[in-house]
Amino acid sequence: MPPIARTFVKAAFAYFVAAFLLGALMMLDRWLSFSRWLKVIYLSQLHLLMVGWITQLAIGVAYWMFPRFLKEQNPQPRGSDALAWAVLACLNFGLLLRFFFEPFYLMGPKPWMAALMALSGALQAVAALGFAWLIWGRIRAMEP
Amino acid sequence: MPATSRTFVKASLIYLGLGAMLGTLLLINRWVFLGTMIGSLRVSHIQFLVVGWLTQLIIGVAWWLFPPLAIGLRPGSPRPARRGQAQRGSEPLFWVTFISLNAGILLRSVFAPLHSWTEIGFFNTLAGISGLFLLTAAITFVVNVWGRVRELGRPR
Repeated sequence: MPPIARTFVKAAFAYFVAAFLLGALMMLDRWLSFSRWLKVIYLSQLHLLMVGWITQLAIGVAYWMFPRFLKEQNPQPRGSDALAWAVLACLNFGLLLRFFFEPFYLMGPKPWMAALMALSGALQAVAALGFAWLIWGRIRAMEP
Repeated sequence: MPATSRTFVKASLIYLGLGAMLGTLLLINRWVFLGTMIGSLRVSHIQFLVVGWLTQLIIGVAWWLFPPLAIGLRPGSPRPARRGQAQRGSEPLFWVTFISLNAGILLRSVFAPLHSWTEIGFFNTLAGISGLFLLTAAITFVVNVWGRVRELGRPR
């Protein structure tokens, strides 16, 4: 497994544990009422699971296992490493930006927080389009 | 990767891009109010990412990588005409899965917001029918791939 794929998968595992930890705290909070913050993180927790865990794992495994470029097509067998790192950075920065600011936005909306939310969405969309661009040429028949 | 899987995976990437852009639009709408209609696109955002992207990617990759059917693997048994593809299961049934899945996704993600914007009952019916398409996709995929969930190296 190449280093970029390992980073995607390890980051996905970290989000998996973090999201389940938050899920457990959210359930306990119904009973013990720890914090108001835990009542407004449900959307962020859902995105940690769907984007941070499942989507990131799918991206990492696809990057690792999809047919590689033929030498004459591209000297880099899995496509541009720089683009792959950029996808990783945009996806995770966007996701964490949302995770840290959305609960505070939901507790008391401020325009600058809403702007950060929009930026987080744009970063994740850039990551999605970047990944599609990176992997598209590798969706091909295997050579005999 | 067979042509069938390639179609699924490419479609899933298109839904990933569309779903992420819709998500961005929903977040921008919190910052710069673009209209009350934008909120109705949440259904399409979820449908594109959960069914269009993740489910469709999983189906495409499973069809590509799951162990082949044991057709032609027993000693003395005739080799199928299209070795590889025939050992994956029924290709026509797989295309039924593809068409049903995508019809379901598109019906739901187009007509559910349209219904909330226009209140036209027919749009709600079309959005409702999407569930039947998605159910058909799920059943045809499971039926098609069931026999391939087996130990590798031993004929069934």
